[in-house]
Formats: sequence, C-alpha cells, structure tokens
Amino acid sequence: MISRAQNQKDNSNSEMTESNQANVKHLSSIEQKELPFYEVILRSTAFWILVILVILTAIFGYLTPNNVFIKPETLFTIGLNASQILILAVGATILLASKNMDLSIGTNLILTSTLAAKVLKIVAGTPQEIMSGSYPNLTNAVIAAIGASIIFGGLFGMINGLIVTKLKMEAFIASLATMMIYWGISLVITQGASEVGIPRALQLGFGHKKLFDLIPYPLIVALIISGVMWLVMRFTKFGLYTCAIGSSAESAERSGIRTDLYIISIFALVGVLAGIAGFFDLARFATTNPQGHQTDGLMAITAAVMGGTSLKGGRASIPGAMLGALIPTIIQTGLVILGVGAFYQMIATGFFLVIAVYLDKKRYAGYLD
Amino acid sequence: MNICKVDDQIAIEVKGIKKNYGHLQALRGVDLKVVKGEIVALIGDNGAGKSTLAKIICGAIQKSEGELYFWGEKTDVQSINHAHKIGVFTVYQDLSLAPDLPVSDNLFLGREIMRNGFLGKLGVLDRKTMRNESKKALAALGIGLKSISVDTRALSGGERQALAIAKAVTWANTALIMDEPTAALGARQSAIVYDTIRAASARGLAVLVISHDIPKMVSFADRIVVLRHGCVVASLEAKKTTLQEVLNFMLGGRGENKDD
Repeated sequence: MISRAQNQKDNSNSEMTESNQANVKHLSSIEQKELPFYEVILRSTAFWILVILVILTAIFGYLTPNNVFIKPETLFTIGLNASQILILAVGATILLASKNMDLSIGTNLILTSTLAAKVLKIVAGTPQEIMSGSYPNLTNAVIAAIGASIIFGGLFGMINGLIVTKLKMEAFIASLATMMIYWGISLVITQGASEVGIPRALQLGFGHKKLFDLIPYPLIVALIISGVMWLVMRFTKFGLYTCAIGSSAESAERSGIRTDLYIISIFALVGVLAGIAGFFDLARFATTNPQGHQTDGLMAITAAVMGGTSLKGGRASIPGAMLGALIPTIIQTGLVILGVGAFYQMIATGFFLVIAVYLDKKRYAGYLD
Repeated sequence: MNICKVDDQIAIEVKGIKKNYGHLQALRGVDLKVVKGEIVALIGDNGAGKSTLAKIICGAIQKSEGELYFWGEKTDVQSINHAHKIGVFTVYQDLSLAPDLPVSDNLFLGREIMRNGFLGKLGVLDRKTMRNESKKALAALGIGLKSISVDTRALSGGERQALAIAKAVTWANTALIMDEPTAALGARQSAIVYDTIRAASARGLAVLVISHDIPKMVSFADRIVVLRHGCVVASLEAKKTTLQEVLNFMLGGRGENKDD
C-alpha cells in the first residue's frame, strides 16, 4: 500500500491530473449526440410511420365515396379490426427487444381460442342446453374462457422459451416448429372446422360493444394492454432486463441477471398476449378461426420492424409497433371500400416494410457516426 | 474457515494453486498475494497460466488443488456470482456492457435502484437517482461524462472500457481483475483506462492486471509477478526492477535477450 502511494506520488500524480482533464474534455465530446427534442422526433421511425399513416388515411379519405373512409365510425372499425394484430405486434416487439422472436403466436392464438371455446362450452352447460342456445352458467363460463386463454396462451408461449433456453435453439427454429405443432394440434382437435355454439352474449357484451356508441371495447382493451406494456418496457426492471438481454446476453448474465428465467418469462408473457388476442376471436365472431391467423406471427414482426424495432435486439419501440400494426389494416380497409382487391394490401405492406427498414438503417448509421 | 487469521490488508492470497486440464498442467502450484490498494501486473508468455489464474480467482473456473483466501479467510469461489458477493469483480473486454443501454443503466445493471413504495414493488426503476449516482461514481473515477443518458454504443473504445471498469469498481470492495484491459485500444484510449485503474486502487481495491504491455506495466504497476510454465518465477517491486530483468524472467534466459 505504501509502495503504491509513493509510486503514485513520485511518478504519476501530475501526469494523472493532466490526463484526467484531457479525459473530461475528450469524453464530453459525445455530448453532441444528445439531440434537441424535434430532432429526436424527426429521427424516430414511429414518427415517419405516423406520417405514412396520415398520408394513407388522407388518400383513402379523398378517394372513397363521400369521404367515408375518414368518418370516425370507419376509423374506429379499422381500430377494431387491428386490435388483435396490435396486441400481437406489441408482443413481437418485446421479444425482438430480447433478441428473440415467436413465429408461433398466430397458431398459438388459434389453438388457445379453440381450447378456450371448449372450456367455455363445458362450463356453460350441457351439450343439449348449448344446442338449444341456453347457457345456464354463462358468467362462470366466460370467466373460465378468459382464464383458459391466458393460461394456455402463456403455456404455449413458455414452451418456446423453454426450447430456446434449455435446448439452446434459435428462437426462429423453435417457434417455427411450435408454429406447426400448435396449428396441427388445433386442426386435429377441430378437423379444420370453426367452433360453433359460442354464446352471442359474448359479442353483445364485449366483441360488438362500443363505448359511447363509437369506440369498440376490444380496441380499448388492446390499447390499454399496449399502453401497459409500453410503460413496463420503458420504466421497469423487466423492460430494462429485456433490452439488456437483447443487447448483450453475455453482459446481462455477467451482471447477475438470470437470463434464462427472463427469456422464458418474456415468451410466456407474449404467449399470454396471443391468448388474449385469441379470446377476441371468440368475442368478436362467436367462433374460432382455425384457417386464419397462421401468418399472424410474421405480420406482428412486420409491424414491430416497421415501427423501428430491429432484429438485432436491445431496443423496443412499442408506439412504433402499434402504428406499424395499423398500416396493413388501413390499406386493406381502404381497398375494400374502393372495391379494389384486398390482396394488394400484402404487396403494399411488403413495400412499406422495405422502405421502413431502409430508413431505419440510414437513421441508425447516422446515429453511429 | 480460519477466522483467527483474518487479515485486513491482504485482499487476495493464493496458496499452492494447481490446475490440470487432463494431462496438461496449466498451473503447478502458484503462490500470490495482492495487498489492499496494490496494482499487481501478471506477466508471462502465452500459455504461462496468467488467464487461468485470473479465472480461478474470479470464479469462472475451479482450481484443481490449492487454497484461496480473501481478507485472510479461506474461500472456495464457486462461481462468478459468488466472487461478486466476496467483492471480486472482473472486467471483460467489451463483454460486460450492453451497447444499447444508456451509460447509467449499464452501470447499475443487475443492481438497479427502485422507486420507493408501491411503484418500486411494481418494478419501476428510479432512473433519476441512478443517473445522479452514475455521475458521481464516474466523476469519482475521473471519468467526466457530461451526458449520462447517451447510449453506451456511442462511446469510444477507451470510454467503454473505462465504463466497464467503473462498473466493476462501483460494486467491488475487494479486488478488480483485468485481462488485457487495453488490448484493443490506442494510446490515448489506454490512458483513460489506466487512470481509471489507478483511481480504483486509490480506493483500496486490490488490482490484478494481465497485460502484454510489459514496458507500461513496469512503469504503471506496483509489483510485477512473472509466470512461466504455470509457476511464479519472480515477484518484483516495479520501482526496483527493469524491463530487461522482467523479460529475462519471463523468457527464462539471463542477459541473453536483446534490450528494447
């Protein structure tokens, strides 16, 4: 200790203060990277997606007869139609932030909604009662169905997390496999047929219900869930750890974070979101849709990436994903009203994905300069 | 546990440490002491066992034989996390920071400050306090970042390494272990790192540096420990030794090597 103190005194005390000053000067140069507020906005992908959305809405508003497209009712219907992909896109964003992905959320949704429908019907009453359209235990049945959606959705999500962490597989491969497995199981269970006998009360009480006769309930729930997830990602330890794991799993591990546990939890959480989106199917259409939703996992990733979240992990833009999720629905609805084939929606979405990611890369490169 | 032998000056003591990889003997009975506040440079040719020794002390690998003492207390370090609990932290080249996180989030990663009360129970971070504490912690080490909320990615290599050391120093209370802390850095960047290491030792941390930059170690460290073929061949007081002497011990010759 004494030798150190002497050494320091002898050799490097003056040198040290000198170079410390140089440090301060040198390090503060990075301060330039902190941008004024408007510049932050201009550089955010979410902002440009919003601009695209406004332009698209204006174009469709101008083109559609009587400007019907920009009537509040139409816009809220678009919101209603987008409510499921909204939730899924938020989930995809959280997973991407952790440098994972889940292609299986679409088929998780199908399987979960199928199982939830079975649970609902079992609890609601005897098959005879249901055939005749009476549901003696309706309230309990609905609660059980919501519970089943959350539990099964979470479980199927968690399975992906377990494969990724315990079997050390890429999330892409793991969820590709479960995507097929979940869809296969739901087809085996349903023989490809939609579930019938779901009480209409579910539509009247939630799926078709509107606040102030204007804002659809499912959209409100989707927005609340997205908002909560945004707060979680931005302000909590869970959000920080998710981004830390995505940014550098090794450093997260070395900082004492139990990364496997977190990754499993993130997959389970996103599974729960898929399960809730699956319940929306029951509530909105009073049926399941085993033939739809297979590509929802990809669409959710599309929305997240358009919104500025990259596959490289470490970052999440939930507002961006929410806006990105609206693009396909807006184009589709606009084209339908115009009487143009809705398939063009996919072509347009593909183009927007390329443009959005290109802009994002340029922005990112500028940021790194 | 040898409580009666507790020593408040010797932060790390290594006694007769051996490490075998199959038939290969990486360490053949190493003895080493690092005193509180001392900077010890671990020097040796490739394969001399420097990194193996450092990894055993920081819990990354297990020793085959021998004893480890921290503050005079015999301890078998089980894991990196266990070493953290003892206050021994290792700085990894670029691996201990998440590039996408702001500086303050990185500094506190794994040991966040939570908000008081209900919000804290919900897992809400107290980022304001974390930022303020980060500023203080970095300033205390002579790292004068004016902006603490910039992403770590935006820092230069030397700044990142200084931050990685700062992170370890902030949480360490026994020792700091560094394997080639300036390997990828230029002179200016290295200077930042060496200043941070110096500040760490001034706080009373035992510092163990593995480096190939032998001339720098002779002027920078307090003591030079030379390893060769898994044994300590010399422990030299840096002020009283010369580069030539260190090189001779390291390469095993006496006066046959060119002076540089």
